[in-house]
Amino acid sequence: MRRRLRIPELGGARAVILHRPHANTTALVRQLEAVGLEVECHWPELPVSVRTADYLFIDVDTAYDDQFPWDLGEAPLPTIALIGSEAPGRIEWLMNFGVDAQILKPIGHNGVYSALLISRATFDARLAQSGEIESLRRRLGQRQTVVQAVTILAARGKTEDQAYEQLRGMAMAWRVSFEEAADRIVATVKTTGKDEDHG
Amino acid sequence: MTRSIDLGLLFSTSGPYRLMGLASREGAMKAIEQVNGDATLDVVFRAVERDPGGDIDAYAPHCEDILKSSSARHVIGCTTSWSRKEVVPSLERLGGVLWYPTPYEGFEASDRVVYTHACPNQHLLPLLDHCFSAYGKRLYLTGSNYIWGWEMNRIAREAGARRGAEVLGERYVPIGSTDIARLVEEIAALKPDFVLNQLIGSSQYAFLDALAALRARDPAFAAHRCPVLSCNMTEAELSEIGAAAEGVISVGPWFCGQSPALPGNEGREDFGSSFEAAAHASVMMLARLLSGTAGAETLTLPELLALPSAATVGISARNHHVALPVAIAQVRDGAFVPIRTYAPIAGDPYLTQTRFPVQPMLQVVS
Repeated sequence: MRRRLRIPELGGARAVILHRPHANTTALVRQLEAVGLEVECHWPELPVSVRTADYLFIDVDTAYDDQFPWDLGEAPLPTIALIGSEAPGRIEWLMNFGVDAQILKPIGHNGVYSALLISRATFDARLAQSGEIESLRRRLGQRQTVVQAVTILAARGKTEDQAYEQLRGMAMAWRVSFEEAADRIVATVKTTGKDEDHG
Repeated sequence: MTRSIDLGLLFSTSGPYRLMGLASREGAMKAIEQVNGDATLDVVFRAVERDPGGDIDAYAPHCEDILKSSSARHVIGCTTSWSRKEVVPSLERLGGVLWYPTPYEGFEASDRVVYTHACPNQHLLPLLDHCFSAYGKRLYLTGSNYIWGWEMNRIAREAGARRGAEVLGERYVPIGSTDIARLVEEIAALKPDFVLNQLIGSSQYAFLDALAALRARDPAFAAHRCPVLSCNMTEAELSEIGAAAEGVISVGPWFCGQSPALPGNEGREDFGSSFEAAAHASVMMLARLLSGTAGAETLTLPELLALPSAATVGISARNHHVALPVAIAQVRDGAFVPIRTYAPIAGDPYLTQTRFPVQPMLQVVS
């Protein structure tokens, strides 16, 4: 399916640049302001308030892990790499850091607008995917609990299919997920030491 | 002491869109004559002209020729976005500045370019706003197959979605093609409330002819029903299009007969179209920036726009666009008649400051 790009709200959005004062920074600030963003430059330390900014530009030529108040790959905002040296070590660093778009230096009169759109779309997709993976992983981890719950229910003379249906009915009645309902049944048995009648 | 300054002119005064190029050139020449006759300005301009003839690959070489063979650093020129993007690398390499005096689709703010005609918040958005209220919310999109049409129609889709409008169809025609039968058939079948037309040149002329024929045979398209919209049709092309232009609704910063013309025209109104007016305004604004500061002709554009004299000229130092009035006009009896006008609106090329729908409606003309 063809994707339609959602244009983010850029008017008044906050961009943070981590780069020493330089002609590249000046060119970047000009482009960002022309688009309509508010810009802050920091070097060499990032203030904690960067977490609430909308975009982060980092100088890959000089960046190192300790500059960032988060773990590698965990940037809480769309991040754009400013790349001068294309040395493999630097590229490896930025891949571990996990950027969402890149601009090659020297920075001229264009490149920033597309980087803003791409980084936002990539970041949002990354966030949605990791949420989905987390939920799938949790459900996979609860598979054993589901088997236990079905066994408990089936122990009262039901077939496995009937026990499954009963569990589904409970999840719906309690308005929780299938796995959460299973968890409750197993927990009840564990605390009371016996199989209460769930009905 | 008066300085003589070379000024580049890069318009296609021959070739497929010569009518627009000629209009722009006429405006620039009027302004050069005006500047050279004005004793209060300490600059005179000497025009260094090149004609790319509408050939996209001729723009960059001609632009470089101007910058290398003369002392010109400022060039007034280009009609299409495609040609503008072609000359920007030459401007960067040779330290030139382009004054671009025709409407475009936005999403650019080059360090090397001043944009003196309208961008979408100054043409497309007010036009759609008016037509959604006046005609309905079922629209059809068409255009020539390049960035102007693609991007304008994308913005129209987005603006339409915010107003609950429905896009019935979207079809593109190769530049220069007059094979528009399928397009017109589709419109005849879908019967939209209006057609947003971003076709250019001969494609647009053929389309308007075919639609005029449709109006004559199908009552659903008679009289004022299903108007065709344009964001770049001006008086410069009216004579070429003839009777088929009747009823077209266009938008621009100015149409003949309106008073005043553009802010940069400094009170002058004797222009044939907004293409001419915007080119005139470009040269006048440049003269104001250069006059009174020795050596200003060697400054970069950001340096020039940081001069004290820049404050009164009206070019945004942030995005190099200008504030322009907006007029929505309909062709009636062969002339554009304004139906709605807006006070000047600042250019917002990335649409980051503009709210949909556009708010500052100040005057209703008729």
